[in-house]
Amino acid sequence: MWTLRRFPLLWLLPALLLVAAFIAYPVAHAFWTSLHRVNLLFPGEPFVGLENYQRVMATRQFRTGLRNSATFMALAAPLVVLAGVAIALFLQRRFRGSLIVRSIVLLPWVLPGAISAVLWVWVFHPSFGILNGVLRNIGAIDSSIQFLNTPSLAFYCVLVAYVWTQIPFAVVLTMAALAAINRETLEAAMIDCRSGWKRFRFVVFPEIKAMVVVLLVYNALMAFTTYDLVYAMTGGGPGTATTLLAFQVWREGFSMYDFGAGSAVAFLMVLVAVAVIVAITRALPSDLFGERP
Amino acid sequence: MSVRGLAAAAALGAGALALQPANAEEITLEFVVWNYALDVIQDNVRQFEAANPGIRVNVTDYTWPDYQDSLVLRFRGGTRTDVLYGGQDWLPAWAAAGWLAPLESIAPEGAVATLASEMAGFALSDVTYEGGIYGLPYYADTISFLYNARLLDEHGIAVPTTWDEVMEASEALKAAGIDRPIVYEYNQELPNFFDAFVAQVYGRGGDLFDDELNAIFDDPDNAAYQHLEWLREAFARELVQPENHESNVITTMNTGEHAFTVVYNYVLAAMNNVGAQPLAGDFQLARMPGGEGATLGFAKFYAATADAAADPARAEAAWKFIEFMAGQPYGVAKRWAVEHGLGFGQLPLLDDADVIEAWSGWVDMDVLSAQVASARAGTWTEWTAVWTAFFRPLLASAMVGEISVDEAMSEGAERWNMLRAQFAGR
Repeated sequence: MWTLRRFPLLWLLPALLLVAAFIAYPVAHAFWTSLHRVNLLFPGEPFVGLENYQRVMATRQFRTGLRNSATFMALAAPLVVLAGVAIALFLQRRFRGSLIVRSIVLLPWVLPGAISAVLWVWVFHPSFGILNGVLRNIGAIDSSIQFLNTPSLAFYCVLVAYVWTQIPFAVVLTMAALAAINRETLEAAMIDCRSGWKRFRFVVFPEIKAMVVVLLVYNALMAFTTYDLVYAMTGGGPGTATTLLAFQVWREGFSMYDFGAGSAVAFLMVLVAVAVIVAITRALPSDLFGERP
Repeated sequence: MSVRGLAAAAALGAGALALQPANAEEITLEFVVWNYALDVIQDNVRQFEAANPGIRVNVTDYTWPDYQDSLVLRFRGGTRTDVLYGGQDWLPAWAAAGWLAPLESIAPEGAVATLASEMAGFALSDVTYEGGIYGLPYYADTISFLYNARLLDEHGIAVPTTWDEVMEASEALKAAGIDRPIVYEYNQELPNFFDAFVAQVYGRGGDLFDDELNAIFDDPDNAAYQHLEWLREAFARELVQPENHESNVITTMNTGEHAFTVVYNYVLAAMNNVGAQPLAGDFQLARMPGGEGATLGFAKFYAATADAAADPARAEAAWKFIEFMAGQPYGVAKRWAVEHGLGFGQLPLLDDADVIEAWSGWVDMDVLSAQVASARAGTWTEWTAVWTAFFRPLLASAMVGEISVDEAMSEGAERWNMLRAQFAGR
């Protein structure tokens, strides 16, 4: 008799082949590359062990990129999730025009990173930016604020732009989790507890906690590896104020033709990402990963 | 129609198709470009295809910031590429890696030498590697010092001829309410950022390297060292407004709130575009400040890949295509010059009446000619592109005061010398 249980490997084989071809092999090849001197301008690809790792970790660019990327991730991921959950809770309510508001909230999601970057440059630009224009018109400033040209401000400007682009995804997933909560549970909570905050904390949050963990992990990884939006807004500047670690992968590999060093940076990013996933899932245990709170 | 009728019609159609002569001679060239004025590129390609039956050209485009890495990936991954836009800074590395072929290997004998004899000196230098000519200019230009003439007139400020005068004029304008008089294309990831710096150093009459390719810019008496100190000072005095792309330079200068910038000449054409910019006509070109008035000249060019050169049919088609785009009578180069203000490396176009008429609308031809005549080619070696990728972030950091000028120049010189030694032993 044919059953799915009879030939499990056979049924999994098509998917496994795709995973092997498009994930396992490239990752393994990248790891191999990181252990060899692979420079397109030099013949041969000799084994060099951890030399690429030692070399890239000794550079100022790596240290700066790591610090900026870690800070960016630590700020962006919680902000996206907090804003996403708050907006999802708000949009769950029925009010006049709620469907239109929901559509507008999703808008940043459909914009490519480069387009979002242009929009935000138009917001922050000192000569023709909307924000400086408004501040000047209301008399709050005499001369333009160099938002993207001041190291201490540029980082937060790109952070705001990045969070704006990521919020819609968090909203959609949180709304899906909210919709899955048993209505009777919510009705009982309404009767038993008048405080909205307490209802959220003790009834709603436990129900959506798994999704929040997913969002935190996802956004942490996205923020840590982000490239396009920041690149298009600032090119990593001023100075190294917004230079992220992903820039270094690109620079070592494609600008310096040193794929060994580029792969080493990429694998160091993977190690950090694994550490982040473990840290988040330990800090916020949920049944999502087979752990019981 | 009955099923039988349909079947008969299908059989007839199939038979007619089978009787068509097989177009075995048709060749498709893979042409890779960055996406500046893609509509014009496509139109030029259509004209080539019409004039050359049997050769089709498939255009693939990338954005300028992504171009170099996309090409490296294509070469590395073996993606078929026949003709491409090349750059002077990438040529030595790409040719040394065996990715490009000298044009002499695909062109009829003497054809390349004839075209080379009509090329501007800096352009010829930029397309030459180890004695071989690897490209014909798509465009060749200089980096120039531009200013808002109306703004300077209003404030009674003369056009500066030295960098000290630029600083003084900027301070005067700032005192008069012009907050950041200098607009500077500042993006450590773009080759332009380094090119513009070199152009300014050339303006001072200096260079970053000596004749033996030793790095000399870490000497405090060197013009490059001094100019980085100048830039750092200008940033510190809040006289500079950085812009991370030339398109923003055009818009920003057209707000009328800024006086000076250093960019490619075609940016001046865009700034003075009457149909598109509110202050068109206010901007003019001056010789690069610094006393010497020299600047960096460069060429972007059509090149053929070694892969295409290895196949006689594709090699012949590739040469026909490159010759159409950049060879005599220079129709395509002229079109770029007239319609888009792109400079050219083909000297006969300097005397072309249509070019002169079109350019007179946005630039003083006498000043431009003097600037072009004093333009110098850059120092492009197999490791220059690698080194500039390392050096640009140092420049950027030093300008805004994150590291000292001495740190930037010392680290840059150390890396240059290390790469030079590595490549010597390759």
